[in-house]
Amino acid sequence: MLGFISARQAGLDDPLRLRRAESTRRVLSLELNKDRDVERIHGSGVNTLDIEPVEGRYMLSGGSDGVVILYDLENFSKKPCYTCKAVCSVGRSHPDVHRFSVETVQWYPHDTGMFTSSSFDKTLKIWDTNTLQPADVFNFEGTVYSHHMSPIATKHCLIAVGTKSPKVHLCDLKSGSCSHILQGHRQEVLAVCWSPRYEHVLATASADSRVKLWDVRRASGCLFTLDQHNGEKSKASSEAANTAHNGRVNGLCFTSDGLHLLTVGTDDRMRLWNSSTGENTLVNYGKVCNTSRKGIKFAISHGCNPEFAFVPYDSNIAVYTIYSGELITMLRGHYSTVDCCVFQSDFQELYSGSKDCNILAWVPALQEPVPEEDNEKHHPPKYFGHSFLGASQPHRSFSTGTVIGSSSGGDKIGSICLDASMNPISLVPELIPGVYKLN
Amino acid sequence: MDQKLSQLVDELTTSGETQLNPEKMKEFKKICKSSDEHINHAYHLLMTQLNKEHAEIRFSAFQIVDELFTRSHQFRALIISNFQEFLELTVETDHEQPLPPPKEVAHKLKKAAIKSVQDWHEKYGEAYKMLSLGYHFLKQNKKVDFQDVNARTLAERRREEEKRKRLENINKEKVKRAQEEMAEMSKEIQDTLTEMENCFRLLMPDPFDFTVNDAELEPVIEKTANEEEPASISMQLADCQPSSLRHIDDEQPCCSKDLPSILPCLKADKNGDLNEELERSDRGAANGDGCSEVELAATTGDDDYETFVRSHGLGSHKYTLDLEISTDIKVRENEDNSAIISSIVDAHKLIGNKFLPSVQLWIQSFTRAGISDDRLRCAIDLKNKLETALEKHKDMNIDYKERKRKVMKVSDDDDDDDEDEFVEVPEKEGYEPHIPDHLRKEYGLDPLSPPKQIGKKPAGGSSFLSSQSQPKRNEEELDPTCAAATLKLLRDKLPQFPLLDSSVSASTEPTASGEPDSKATKQEEERAKAPIIPFGLDLYYWGQDQPTAGKILKFSSQHRFWAPNELEEEVENKEVSEMLKTRYITFAGKFEPVKHKCRAPMPDGSLCERQDRIKCPFHGKIIPRDESGNPVNPEDKAREEKQRFEKQAQQPEWQDPEFMREVEAAVGVDLGSSRYSGKGKKKGKKKKYPNLTDLKQQANTSRSRLEKKVFNKEAMKRVVKAMNRMDRKKHEKFANQFNYALN
Repeated sequence: MLGFISARQAGLDDPLRLRRAESTRRVLSLELNKDRDVERIHGSGVNTLDIEPVEGRYMLSGGSDGVVILYDLENFSKKPCYTCKAVCSVGRSHPDVHRFSVETVQWYPHDTGMFTSSSFDKTLKIWDTNTLQPADVFNFEGTVYSHHMSPIATKHCLIAVGTKSPKVHLCDLKSGSCSHILQGHRQEVLAVCWSPRYEHVLATASADSRVKLWDVRRASGCLFTLDQHNGEKSKASSEAANTAHNGRVNGLCFTSDGLHLLTVGTDDRMRLWNSSTGENTLVNYGKVCNTSRKGIKFAISHGCNPEFAFVPYDSNIAVYTIYSGELITMLRGHYSTVDCCVFQSDFQELYSGSKDCNILAWVPALQEPVPEEDNEKHHPPKYFGHSFLGASQPHRSFSTGTVIGSSSGGDKIGSICLDASMNPISLVPELIPGVYKLN
Repeated sequence: MDQKLSQLVDELTTSGETQLNPEKMKEFKKICKSSDEHINHAYHLLMTQLNKEHAEIRFSAFQIVDELFTRSHQFRALIISNFQEFLELTVETDHEQPLPPPKEVAHKLKKAAIKSVQDWHEKYGEAYKMLSLGYHFLKQNKKVDFQDVNARTLAERRREEEKRKRLENINKEKVKRAQEEMAEMSKEIQDTLTEMENCFRLLMPDPFDFTVNDAELEPVIEKTANEEEPASISMQLADCQPSSLRHIDDEQPCCSKDLPSILPCLKADKNGDLNEELERSDRGAANGDGCSEVELAATTGDDDYETFVRSHGLGSHKYTLDLEISTDIKVRENEDNSAIISSIVDAHKLIGNKFLPSVQLWIQSFTRAGISDDRLRCAIDLKNKLETALEKHKDMNIDYKERKRKVMKVSDDDDDDDEDEFVEVPEKEGYEPHIPDHLRKEYGLDPLSPPKQIGKKPAGGSSFLSSQSQPKRNEEELDPTCAAATLKLLRDKLPQFPLLDSSVSASTEPTASGEPDSKATKQEEERAKAPIIPFGLDLYYWGQDQPTAGKILKFSSQHRFWAPNELEEEVENKEVSEMLKTRYITFAGKFEPVKHKCRAPMPDGSLCERQDRIKCPFHGKIIPRDESGNPVNPEDKAREEKQRFEKQAQQPEWQDPEFMREVEAAVGVDLGSSRYSGKGKKKGKKKKYPNLTDLKQQANTSRSRLEKKVFNKEAMKRVVKAMNRMDRKKHEKFANQFNYALN
């Protein structure tokens, strides 16, 4: 650690190296911390979570009773012990609440003033965060399993929606209508995900055990269908041709660089694919227990050296290294099936929602002795008080993981505080451990 | 140390007791205290025990866990790291993994575990996140009610709730129905009650209701007052008047019993509505009047007090008269009040059979539903009223006339006035004019006069006597389809025909022709002795010669068209003719219970208790034996000796199983002792954990044993085969017919 810092100070190392090493260390030490709690509001299982990419401060959760709750993850209390408060919620008494289980929630990638939620009541709702009123409602013929909005898109404003019908719908927020339909799947579409690298590339996973990649500009069809056998056996058995799994494919996630795609299926397997060629990389993760009938949401770390995947595994969360397929650890804490997890890459925290109504926060373990004074030093300054409305100029640089200095239009001090652990330039070396205290 | 630890855990958990052995526990804790390593080991051991499919093992293991949990941080951390599984194994959080049998212990385990989790949460919930999560999980997701002593699950509670709700609904429905019924019926009930009350009043004026009373008796008083001397008599009458309502029996204050009791003037005045009682007391009063009249007539001359007192034989002038108001009244029905009484009877029936039960039902349904408002009060009021009415009716002691069913009277009874109300109807076929005495009541008839009197009557009497002597026959006669009944009819129609029934002659003749009594009694005795046998052909042809019996016409030619000249040929068949005269009576003999026992000596020294007739299934033919079980006959003895010898020869003496077992135990080599006696083997095999409840034993119910037999694969196959065969047989029945052959 100190070696990294001195090397960084002397300019021998790329600043990224220190950051990577520290992130990795923190991810590896994730544990259930008694100091961190998420308020228990959900009365039934938590299906989906999303942390806004702008600041990584607000988290949305969708429950199987149709409730959507917004949490504030930031700790301003100056105490190590913190319970994440619910800022507001779309409760059962709300006039526009989803009637059935909310399957997916997602923030608008560039702004916290808006979020989307889709539900089994066959609707996709676009919410205004400040008024908590639906700005728009899309209706579908079947229950909506999943929807996704491209995190990087600048040329389009499409939401991909996977429903019970085999068609993938693309809803245009600009026009407020369903602009495209992608045909090709034979059964319900359980997961959709936009590539974080190419804004027009979309991956969809279906119950017909196929995963397709699409370029939404192409009208003729999908780019390619992932094949678990890489085309070797598919000639022999036409039935198994071009299948990604031997069961329903219900989880889908791109790596943060968008070069690889991770899928999970009900055949208890997880597969890593090259997203540009569609090739199965044949990484063996072993058995990944998966009994869910609907989509599951798993997370991939961001900014670590070997990247990690956090995958629900019954009532536990399995942590795998993505490229080697090694099972690092099992995070035990839930008492019922885990449905979703989401990674907060700024502080290397993991949040998971389960059928037992809990949202658990997995926080890096503290390092042993901590100097007292660091705590005050790093609590966020007052003027950093965040408002939804004020997010008109997003700190886009955080989500892409570039160096702080290059951030355009970002508030300098705010950036340092937000990104405290990754910006050693402004820190005196002996104060470094205090960073962890921030959690 | 590790060895010792596992041994201790094993012993503690397989003790099968609800309490842990304190010494062993102490030892166990001491070992655990020595190092974290041991705690780790103990944790794994306990988890394995908790995983065992036996509630008693789990319960004991859980108790150990509970002990260690409060003492060691290390152990807490270990348990909590795997708290999900721990809860699954003890609190039954996973419904796919129910707690193992025995049930009671499993329930106890669950209760204890829930309680412990709560305690732990209170103590350590702060420090251990997983623990508090688990607690909240139980509380909120599994809806475990930590206050609920029964540790019922949500489903159980819900089921109970549902049951309660259903019952409530049913009750509500009942209440609704009762309410409607009440609204409908209360009017009717009130009417009936009023009717009854009025009837009572008419029958029996209320002694305290003087207005009614006066109105009734006024004329009487006035009449007497007018006729007789005014002052004293009216005084006396006033005295007597209340007494007229009482039951005075014969103890009249005046000694006028001997006097002629009928006073014409009073008799004429008698109110028709007054009952017998009133009549009588009236008569009493009348007597009193009569008496006083006489007395007064004698004493009118000297209206001196003394003389009055003396002449009346009274001790003093101011004597007091104690009147006992008796409550047991008796009302008798007569022509005058029959209409009232019949309406009372109707009302009484209505109340007793209809109103009271339904009111009781309402009250029941109201109380069941927990309703205690006006409705219930109203129902109770009604019930009370009805009950008082019934009580009153009982108090009245109404002496009903026999209610007659007029239809039955038509031919039988002698009332002329009845007869002219009915049109003569030809007698029905099979109609029985004679109803036996013991059945007369059922028919609603007066019992016939005693048999002695009837004996004088020519026809009815005779049959009556015979029926008395032969109750069985009598019952048969009642059945119009029976031959006996027809016989009786005949007999009754032709009473003069003496040979038909000897009893007729026996009973009718003695008075008429004076035959000796002894012959009749003798016959009677014989009759009693004779067996009763079912009617048959032999009886039908009794004493008659059947010339054609047993004759069979036989055609010698079998041809359809060609027949021989002599048309038929008679063949006499002895058997057939015999058949008409014979009767087979099977005589099976009497069952005699076996009195002897087998008494063969048993291995345990006692004698065989079996009571077989000839042969004991274990000890062969039953032979006479002495007290010690040895055969008495020498040849038997020899045979038994021989058998024993042969048996011994099969198994050499040195291979005595007992001895062998000892040797084996000493040497440690299996010499095959178990081969010789199956029993020894069974006894020798010890159960692994003798203290635990044997689950197999529990599962070994009569049902499971039967299941094993019935659902045995072989048995099923056999049954199926047999049924298939039966099916095929059914088809085979007509298999030789063209029509069915193809089916």
